Amino acid sequence: MPDITLQSISVMIDGGAHDGQLVLSDGHLVAVLSRVTSQETAGGRGQAEGWFLEAGFGPCGPVMSVSPPVFVDVEEAIMWVRNRLDAGLSAH
Amino acid sequence: MTRMTNPLILKLEQRDHLSDEEKRALENAISRVRVVEADEDIVREGDRPGESSLLLDGFAARYKIVSNGRRQISALHVAGDFIDLHSFLLKTMDHGVLALTTCRIASVPHATLEKITDEYPHLTRMLWLDTLIDGAIHREWLTAMGRLSAAAHMAHLICELYLRLKVVGRAESDTVQLPITQAELGDTLGLSTVHVNRVLQELRKEGLIRFQGDVLTILDWERLKKVGEFTSTYLSLQNEDR
Repeated sequence: MPDITLQSISVMIDGGAHDGQLVLSDGHLVAVLSRVTSQETAGGRGQAEGWFLEAGFGPCGPVMSVSPPVFVDVEEAIMWVRNRLDAGLSAH
Repeated sequence: MTRMTNPLILKLEQRDHLSDEEKRALENAISRVRVVEADEDIVREGDRPGESSLLLDGFAARYKIVSNGRRQISALHVAGDFIDLHSFLLKTMDHGVLALTTCRIASVPHATLEKITDEYPHLTRMLWLDTLIDGAIHREWLTAMGRLSAAAHMAHLICELYLRLKVVGRAESDTVQLPITQAELGDTLGLSTVHVNRVLQELRKEGLIRFQGDVLTILDWERLKKVGEFTSTYLSLQNEDR
């Protein structure tokens, strides 16, 4: 099982800084998450606030996966990343 | 039937003159009017309807569902749109049409459409034109979806909806009612709700549009068109012999 690590980083969104996390798998960048407020998810069907996949790479990127809903917490995001790393093209 | 002008007639008359007889034929083609509530299907994928649905009022969406319940809206329909005129010839619906708001729907039996195509060649061409414009809109959407930024794509959609609503008398100077949620806009533009909110915020910040509830005001039409790379040629808005 790959070693998933996080690194806090500030992400520039809408001209302002958002809390962000780099998600690394065995030291390779696989996802960038940012903290979104309920204002940014207004009018949506899912989670009101949480962590949004700003960018994904490899199995977490747009070539192989579709954009996931906003995650409740970082743990849920990591679970999604792990599933993607395992699944390849076979599932979203 | 006594009611205000059928919006389909407004829509077609924007493009070419209709004779009184042709207008009467369209009015008389309506067999019944029904109301479909928001989030209900007007027609379902796989249906073989015996009539076509003309939207008199409200907003509707053509859609398809892919795995995990994800939805793509492939067309937005406003008053005057003949939502599934094509089911007259395609027979089996390859997609569904959903009411986004309460919709007033006029039903036109396929047998009546057949009679119109037998007896009114010019009106038949106008209905053909209507489906050709639907096709032109699909081409434009595909191009915007594939090659414009999310902000430009949204600007393009707003420009188009504004003009389409204006043609059927649903716009007041620079203001239209657009009761479409961010989730529905996301399904239309292929964006997450987060991105829809950011894009709307960006267009607001740039002084291009304003949303108050579901009332959209266009603050700077020229710049909005420029941002969305919008030219209205594909809507065939000019009145000429067809």
